[in-house]
Amino acid sequence: MAIIELQDVSKLFGFGDATNVALDEVTLAIDEGEFVAVMGPSGCGKSTLMNMIGLLDRPTHGLYTLQGRQVARLRATQRARVRRDTVGFVFQSFNLLPRLTVLENVALPLAYNGVSANTRAKRALDMLERIGLRDRAYYYPSQLSGGQAQCVAIARALINDPRIIIADEPTGNLDSISSRLVMELLSEIHRSGNTILFVTHNPELTRYATRTVYMHDGGIVHDEQTEIGEVAPTARKALYSLFRKTVDDDLAGVSALMKAVPHPSDITKKKPAAKTTKKAASKSKAKAKPAKKGSKK
Amino acid sequence: MTISHGHLKMAFMSVRKNKWRSLLTMLGIIIGIVSVVTIVSVGNGMKQQVTGQIDRFGKDMIMIRPGQVGKTDTKDALANSDILFGRSSLSGLSAQDYQTIKRSKDVDQVAPLGLISGKVTSSDNITKTNNIIIATTPQLPAALNQSIHYGSFFDDDSELSSAVIGQQVAYDLFGQRAPLGKTFTLRGQSFTVRGVMSEFNAPPLSPTANFDDAIFISYKAANQITASTTQYYAILAKPREGTKTQAAINTITSNLKKAHGGEQDFSVLDEQHSVAAASDVIDLLTSFVTAVAAISLFVGGIGIMNIMLVSVTERMHEIGVRKAVGATSHQIMLQFMLESTVLSTLGGIVGVLLSILTSFLLHTYTTYKPVLSWSAVGAATLISMAIGIIFGTLPAAKAARKNPIEALRHE
Repeated sequence: MAIIELQDVSKLFGFGDATNVALDEVTLAIDEGEFVAVMGPSGCGKSTLMNMIGLLDRPTHGLYTLQGRQVARLRATQRARVRRDTVGFVFQSFNLLPRLTVLENVALPLAYNGVSANTRAKRALDMLERIGLRDRAYYYPSQLSGGQAQCVAIARALINDPRIIIADEPTGNLDSISSRLVMELLSEIHRSGNTILFVTHNPELTRYATRTVYMHDGGIVHDEQTEIGEVAPTARKALYSLFRKTVDDDLAGVSALMKAVPHPSDITKKKPAAKTTKKAASKSKAKAKPAKKGSKK
Repeated sequence: MTISHGHLKMAFMSVRKNKWRSLLTMLGIIIGIVSVVTIVSVGNGMKQQVTGQIDRFGKDMIMIRPGQVGKTDTKDALANSDILFGRSSLSGLSAQDYQTIKRSKDVDQVAPLGLISGKVTSSDNITKTNNIIIATTPQLPAALNQSIHYGSFFDDDSELSSAVIGQQVAYDLFGQRAPLGKTFTLRGQSFTVRGVMSEFNAPPLSPTANFDDAIFISYKAANQITASTTQYYAILAKPREGTKTQAAINTITSNLKKAHGGEQDFSVLDEQHSVAAASDVIDLLTSFVTAVAAISLFVGGIGIMNIMLVSVTERMHEIGVRKAVGATSHQIMLQFMLESTVLSTLGGIVGVLLSILTSFLLHTYTTYKPVLSWSAVGAATLISMAIGIIFGTLPAAKAARKNPIEALRHE
C-alpha cells in the first residue's frame, strides 16, 4: 500500500491573470520503503511538491492521502502535528538554528512533542552517536563543516522517528565528498526502513535511489524504477555534464552498491577495499549482525 | 499546552543573547516601575506622617477653626489643603471665642493659636525674619502633648516678657541648645527665653508649618506688641478627664453658636477628622502623580512591543524552521509571549529593586520618609508581567500566523 498518494494535486499561486501554476494535477503514489530521487530544472515545482508532501503547504486542488489518511484539507495545527510525527525535513541550506548547540538543534523537534528535557538530551545524544558526531554535541552550527551540518540536520529530521524523510537538494551546498557522506547517511536510513524523497540536480546521485521521478513545468513527465548503484537510465543522458568520471564518483557508486547487497560477510570477501572506506557503514553492519544470527537460530 | 521549564529557559536564553537590546527595552519598564513605586511609597510615607500625629497628640484633641471645614470628600479637602495658611481670607476666632470655650464645661486645657509676624533680633544681634510667632496660653504643651526640653513653659498669661522657643530658633538666634535667660527683641519688646520645646516629630495640624522654628509668647504679650486683639487661626482644647470627646465637641459647638448669634461660622473637629482631610489630599495627589507615572509604564510596554516585532521579523527564518520540524502556531505564539513576559518581568524586578534603593536614598538624604508597601511591590511585579503579556500578544500572533514556507524563505 502506498504511504504517499497524490491524486490530481494542483498548487496555484496568485489570482486572476497573474495566476502561476506551480503544480499541475500531479498524481503520484509512493510505496513504503522507496528511495525516490526527484529531478528537473529549476522552477519546475520540485520544491512545491516536496513542501506539499511534507505538509508544509496545502494543495489548491486535489487529494492527498498520507498513511491512509486524508490530509489535504487539514488545518494548520493538525498539519503541524502530522508533520511532527511523520515527516523529517532536510534542507539545502541545513537550516540549523545558529543560536542553539548541535545537541539542542537535534533535540528541537522533541521539544514540540512534549518530551522532557532529560529524555530529549539523551535521545539527541544517541542520534548524534548514530551519525558519528557525538563529539560535536556542544558545538554551534557555525563551527561545523557543511557535511557535518547537513548530517546534524538529518539527525534532527530523524529524531522523532518519522516514516518519511524529505530532503530538498540536501547536497546542493556541499562538495562531492560531503555530498557522498550525506547520501551514504540517507541510504543507511533508507535501509532501516524509511521512505525517502530527495530532490537533486546531480544525475550521479540517482545511484542511491530506487526510483527516479522527472518533473517539468509543474508536472511529472517521467517516472522510472532504478537499480541501486546505477545511474537512472534517463538521467544517464544528462551525464554529459560530468565529462569525466572521477575516482570519487566510482567509489560513491561502489559503496552504494555494497549496501544493496544483504550479507556484509560476502562483501568483505569480494571487495576488501570497501571496509576501509566506509567506517560508518561497517559499524551499522556490526550492529545488524547479531540480530540476524539470532533469527537464524 | 503547558509552560515547561524548557520554554522558560528558551525565553531567558533569547533575552540573554541580545543583552543590550534587552536591557534598553527593559529600561522603559524599569523607569515606569521605579517612578510608580517610589511615588506611591512617598505618598504612603506622607500619609503615615500625618496619621502619626493622631497618636502623638492623642485622639482626644479637639480643634476649633474659623469657617466651615472638615468635609471629608476630596473636593473640599483640596480647598482645605493648607490648614495653617490657606484660610487667611476668613476672619479668625476672637479672644471672646477663646473665653467662651474655656468657660464651657467638659473642656480642659484650652490653647489658642494666633499668628503674628515680625522680625526677631537676639541679644547677640542676630536677626531672623522667617520664623513663626505663635500667641497662645500656658495650656499649649498639655493640649499638644508636647514636652519642654529645657526650662519650662510660661505659667501665666500675664508673663508679658517670657517666651518659649523651638529648637531651630535656639540654634539660629543664639547658636546653642539651651539659651535659657537670653533675650531677644520683637517689635520693640524684649523677651526672655524661658524654655526650649522638645523637637516636634511631626508638625502639628499642618504639614507645612515647622514648629521647631516657632516662638511661643503669651497672647496678652501679643496683644500688647501688636496693639490689637490677636485673631486665632485655631483653638485647641482637650475634653475634661472622663468626658467623651464627642460630648465636649457638642458643648463647644452649642456654646460658640450661641455666642455667634446662632450662626455656625466655625468648625469643631477632632484630630482624626482634621487629619482625614489632609490624608485625602495626599491620596488625591498621589493617585494623580501615579497616573502620570503609569503613562511611562505604558510607553515601556510599547517599547517591548516594538522590539518584539523587530525580533519576530529578524527571526522569521527560525520560525519557519521551528514550524517545519513540527511546532504548531500555538507553540510559536507561546514562545514569543513568554519571551516578552520574561523581558518585562525582569524589568519589573529590576525596577522594584531600584525603587527600594531610591526609597532608601530618599529616606537618608531628604525629609521625605517613603514607606514601601509589599502590596505596591507585588502589584508592580504583576503589572510588569501583565504588560509583557498584553504587549507581547500582537508580535507573537504575527509570528504564529506566518506561513511556514514564506517564513523559511525569509533570510
